[in-house]
Amino acid sequence: MTAARDAAIGAEGLVRDFPAVRAVDGIDLAVERGQVFGFLGANGSGKTTTIRMLTTLLRPTAGRGYVDGLDVQREASEVRRRIGVALQEAGLDDLQTGRELLALQGRLHGVRRGEIAARVDELLAIVDLEDAADRRIGTYSGGMQRRLDLASALVHRPGIVFLDEPTTGLDPISRDAVWRYVEQLNRDEGVTFFLTTQYLEEADRLADEVAIIDAGRIVAQGSPADLKATIGADVVTIHVDADDGAGIARALLRIEELDGLEEVRTLDDAIVVYITDGSRAIARLVTVVQESGLDVREVTLAQPTLDDVFLRATGRHLEVDAEAPSPGAGEEEAR
Amino acid sequence: MTALVIGTYQLAWRAVRETIRQPGVEVGNLFIPLFFFFVTVGAISNIAAPAFGIENYEAFQLPVAITQGVAGAAAISGVAIVKDIESGYFDKLLLTPMPRLAIVLGRLIADGIRCMAFTSIIVAVLSVFTAGMAAGPLGYVVVIALAGLFGVAYSGIGVTIGLRTGNAQAAQAGFLIFFPLLFLSPAFAPKEFFDPWMEFLASINPVTYLLEGMRTLALDGWEWDNLAGALASVFGLGVVTAGLALWALRTRTA
Repeated sequence: MTAARDAAIGAEGLVRDFPAVRAVDGIDLAVERGQVFGFLGANGSGKTTTIRMLTTLLRPTAGRGYVDGLDVQREASEVRRRIGVALQEAGLDDLQTGRELLALQGRLHGVRRGEIAARVDELLAIVDLEDAADRRIGTYSGGMQRRLDLASALVHRPGIVFLDEPTTGLDPISRDAVWRYVEQLNRDEGVTFFLTTQYLEEADRLADEVAIIDAGRIVAQGSPADLKATIGADVVTIHVDADDGAGIARALLRIEELDGLEEVRTLDDAIVVYITDGSRAIARLVTVVQESGLDVREVTLAQPTLDDVFLRATGRHLEVDAEAPSPGAGEEEAR
Repeated sequence: MTALVIGTYQLAWRAVRETIRQPGVEVGNLFIPLFFFFVTVGAISNIAAPAFGIENYEAFQLPVAITQGVAGAAAISGVAIVKDIESGYFDKLLLTPMPRLAIVLGRLIADGIRCMAFTSIIVAVLSVFTAGMAAGPLGYVVVIALAGLFGVAYSGIGVTIGLRTGNAQAAQAGFLIFFPLLFLSPAFAPKEFFDPWMEFLASINPVTYLLEGMRTLALDGWEWDNLAGALASVFGLGVVTAGLALWALRTRTA
């Protein structure tokens, strides 16, 4: 593994305390150049605090952060020159037009006056905002604002880009457009991405490497394929009557005696069984559960997903509040 | 240095554009000083002028209207900063490599420009009633320039409150600080008529010197002592408020 200081993005024992709470609790990481690194976690897990420290917006309480070999505290200004950042809330100015905002951001990032107009036109085309370029941002839909925010993070052609939940609240079409653009920049220009997300699908599709963060600590890390391989089994989920504690206890004891069992745990009204050759085991599992006096309501068989990795690492599913359609969904051009 | 200049210029222009695009916000800043001018002059000029030995009480009141308009216009900056903080745009500015000083300087300079524009309108409207400027046309230019400098200095108060509190109501309250400054100055009568305690308070109030400098130009012509006093008081106020604003910025971004 690359040392934190030599990595595109690195951290050594990064800690951030707020009054009465430790938001980030000793994070170590090293993101390789040209990698898309996914930082997966639930709301309040410490994703945004980590990204704010690595992008110089927040001082760490302890530990060190590095970007492109630079210390984020001691060499903050040079770090800011080399990174592009789109934070969770699209920080835009309603009174400017999209074109004006990009031009202003470009100038503040040191893009030469003679180059700025062409760069702005190029970005507006890429994020498909040419038609709205001269409208005030206050008239943009949520999806348009997100795309503009992403473009503003790229206006100075940074080699390292931080995206804090870039597709939260976006409709599926806008989400896909952002994903495709991230893939294109990573593939064609070698841009390194540090991406926080609470979408499993997003991490699975985009990230070369994923770190799962929970309560301020990294609890699992690896490529999506490697992480899923750690489960080493199929996942059978059996939904039963959660009120029958004794029945569930009986079922768990009997399931633990089955061949090929990797792990079994309960979650709300479900018994989650990690077992090899799940399609063969499923009938036996249902029988065992029924014989334990439980009423089987639903059974699913699945290949391991990052959610299973998350469940195994944290003891719970990743609850994705933002899965609900955004208020702006389907209104792209309506306002 | 170049980055500071470019950043300051770009952010000042952005703030000026903000004003142009929401003129309704600024209407009150023109209406209130004009209203108070006419009410004050209409109510007491017949008594005040002979009592204080002032031939042209309208011209005596002109600097009061100007400073009132400037204070109102400059107080908006604090609210604008809070809006940027709330929208996340402030973070976007902090994430650029430009010196963070440019965020404050851009805002203050834009306020100077806005305040000169407001003062030009107030002076143009009131010149009909004030029978001209004793110092001539150049006197108008100096009055407008002094108003611009006062705008820069005064906006530092709102910017400081906005950066420290992140609260729009608190930042708006920066305007209220102007009222004690105004009423503890020779706004309605020369300070020679004040009780000693009031005269003392007026003598340590920077608005006093600003009003007297502008009044000299309107009533008497070029009196350099008063002009130097006005310039020094505005400069002193500016050093204090800009210093506070930079401290507030440093605290917020630490």
